[in-house]
Amino acid sequence: MKIKLMVLAISLASVSGVAAGFDFGKLLEERINQELNKDKQTTPAPATNQTPAAPQSAAAPPPPAKQKIDARQLGFALFGDYSPEEENRIGRQISGNLLGAVPLVRDDKLHRYVNLVGNWVALQSGRKDVTWRFGVLDTEDINAFAAPGGYIFVTKGLYRRLNNEAELAGVLAHEIAHVTKKHHLKVLKQSSLIGALGQAAGSKTKDSDPVVQNLIGNGAEIMARGLDKNAEFEADRVGVVFAARAGYGPWGLPGVLQDLAGLPAKDSRTGLLYKTHPHPADRLAALGEAVDGHLDAVQGKDLASRFYRIR
Amino acid sequence: MKTFLIPAAVLVLCTASASAWAAPGTVLRNDKLYSQPSASSRVAGSVTKGTSVNILAKQGGWLRVTAGKSTGWVRLLSVRAGAGGLGGAGLGDVVGAATTKSDPSRVVAVAGLRGLNDEYLKQAKFNADERARLDALNVTATQVRNFASQSGLAAVNVPDLPKPQPAQTSSPWENN
Repeated sequence: MKIKLMVLAISLASVSGVAAGFDFGKLLEERINQELNKDKQTTPAPATNQTPAAPQSAAAPPPPAKQKIDARQLGFALFGDYSPEEENRIGRQISGNLLGAVPLVRDDKLHRYVNLVGNWVALQSGRKDVTWRFGVLDTEDINAFAAPGGYIFVTKGLYRRLNNEAELAGVLAHEIAHVTKKHHLKVLKQSSLIGALGQAAGSKTKDSDPVVQNLIGNGAEIMARGLDKNAEFEADRVGVVFAARAGYGPWGLPGVLQDLAGLPAKDSRTGLLYKTHPHPADRLAALGEAVDGHLDAVQGKDLASRFYRIR
Repeated sequence: MKTFLIPAAVLVLCTASASAWAAPGTVLRNDKLYSQPSASSRVAGSVTKGTSVNILAKQGGWLRVTAGKSTGWVRLLSVRAGAGGLGGAGLGDVVGAATTKSDPSRVVAVAGLRGLNDEYLKQAKFNADERARLDALNVTATQVRNFASQSGLAAVNVPDLPKPQPAQTSSPWENN
């Protein structure tokens, strides 16, 4: 492994002259750390009845040292960005996999309501190149997810705990902020030198997209890995502002965090939430530092009477 | 903790009311206690980080708390609810387990049917039918604006919040 890293380092360093003035060392360091962490996190394959023909089993990206690093890929790593189409392809695949793990709640009125609230909040986010979709996942787990391209999910377990529309808006706004800040795309970019996704053979079909699957790893595991905690703090900060801009009381998201903070630590429904997010108390503290008195003058609505109660 | 608070708290939980708590909490940052839920009201005292408080009520961005001998309103984001102390300090489990009876949220602590976990998500297979169902959930911009105006929601100009200092202590919680 060390040798591979050296090869990677040398091959990258040899091109570094081109990118004079750019903080190449830092990028390289991050990249190497990624590789080291990858090694650490490698767990033995579970002895389950997994069929060897599972398409995901071949999904691991090739070792970077063997991967040809051409100028296009390097350019992407340094300055590039996924196009809106690529972002949508990635989001489609992640959300399709997530829905393979948990289906949507069968409640059309609920989904219409959540999409109206979510789209109203998203209108304040400033991103116009995204078609937003909001789904409620049929699980008692307490969590919410965002995938690139504007796919937002909240679990039934979390939805049930909400008291009013402002709290729903706050939760959705946090997830919308992950999309507008492209948090997951940044993680994908860091963890892979796969740049352009190539011809979007699967973009028009309704099926699984093998190119994107190769990028995101196994199934929907990207949703279990979570983001850097500073990305979560940022999404809290930005989300509170989005909800307030939509005319809601800004205390919806903080109220939900308070509710979660009051849950016992070992509640099985919050296992994944706490694995992928800082503790609610830490989130409240970080948000408190940022908000201080800045929102004192904001008058918003909570709309408890309009809130759609789940069956 | 006064004993009459326990049944009261359970009742409150059952009715899912957020406005009248009686729950333990911990101060997350040094802040003032106000006589009213407003920063322009009279200052009734102060609270320091780490202090245990009893949360009596919630109103907008404010919590009414009792800290020692003083009672007053403190900013919602300056206190955490729950028995887990400062949280990031990793006290959650220990304290939470020791205060089972006074923690009303414990009443609903049931095991999930099948929790979302790493292995489960890793093995998830693309579900085209559910994806199509999600795609069908489209609403038009006009519908969205009508929905907002029906209840008097209008876009408000709220500036971005300042970015805080980067120094954040790491939380052992993430390794749970």
